Amino acid sequence: MLFILFQLGQDRYALDASNLVEILPLAQVKALPHAPVGIAGIIDYHGVTLPVIDLSDLALGHPSVARISTRILIAEIATGRRFALIAERANRLLQRDATDFVEPEVTVEAAPYLGPITRDDSGIVQWITPQKLFSNAVCDALYQQAREAA
Amino acid sequence: MKLHDCWKQIGTWGDKSCPQLAEAVHCRNCPTYSAAAAQLLDREVDATYLAQSALEIRTVRQTVARDTDSAVVFRIGAEWLALPSHLVHEVGVLRPIHSLPHRRSATVLGIANVRGALLICISLHALLGIDKAPVVTSASRTLVHERLLVVGHEGERLVLPVDEVFGVHRFHAEQLGETPATVAKSTATYTRATLPWRDKTVGLLDEQLLFYSINKSLS
Repeated sequence: MLFILFQLGQDRYALDASNLVEILPLAQVKALPHAPVGIAGIIDYHGVTLPVIDLSDLALGHPSVARISTRILIAEIATGRRFALIAERANRLLQRDATDFVEPEVTVEAAPYLGPITRDDSGIVQWITPQKLFSNAVCDALYQQAREAA
Repeated sequence: MKLHDCWKQIGTWGDKSCPQLAEAVHCRNCPTYSAAAAQLLDREVDATYLAQSALEIRTVRQTVARDTDSAVVFRIGAEWLALPSHLVHEVGVLRPIHSLPHRRSATVLGIANVRGALLICISLHALLGIDKAPVVTSASRTLVHERLLVVGHEGERLVLPVDEVFGVHRFHAEQLGETPATVAKSTATYTRATLPWRDKTVGLLDEQLLFYSINKSLS
């Protein structure tokens, strides 16, 4: 399996490449006032409005720094249901089997998207499941909002 | 931003005195080099960059129709026709066609020797009902060569003598037009679609129907 690596703070995380449609450079995002924590706003993706989730804001509480290595990843969690993720230092790939990942000893209830972990030369990498970034209710609300804003 | 460009001083593009070169062979394999690349990617971006990439993401993608299909265009009498390229095995020069005894059919001309194989020759003129009358050649097109089209369908090979072969014409399926229903000629029966070619309209032959009729005339 191919994984895209990115960073939250100093730690490294991985997204399954089969969940991703495209990796884009960081772009201007239209903000949504009163949006839940982690929602940076919406973007116009080739005529389709997608909600944008800032992973750094969601997990650490501060927005991603605008750098060249900070990118927008278009993720598809179900057919036709896509959203954009802003991830810092998303410029490396990792080739691993699903069996190389082990469940961590500690799980965090507030962050169900944190998955199993693996190791490489530079340390620990944790698998992020984009399907679990939000509960279904928040997800539905997001798409409603994105549609209305478009 | 200041980069320590060791690759230009002691590395591959420098005097090659770096001790790590013995192991890495080329600077592109060295972790110092990729760390410098990562450092370049960590540059902060400005509003122009964000606006520019937002514009690129916003642009609705245009699908371009490519010429994905191809057909061999040839002439029968005054009619320009086409057959899908995958059916045409070769275009040969005219060879003697030996008639078959006790065959009265106008469609079956006889057999011809194509590279040692005896193949049955079918007259498209007779099958499609087109006169063999020679077209008036203009001054610019004086040289016209008759050819033999060797075609294959479901493992069976046949020879179709034609009056002229243009060559392979590439097109996209969207370019195909409907066969005009008002044309009562038998050519129209065998035409699957019309294809614009140069300033003319070429009839793309329906291979299923064509080979069905040929097989029927052979039995």
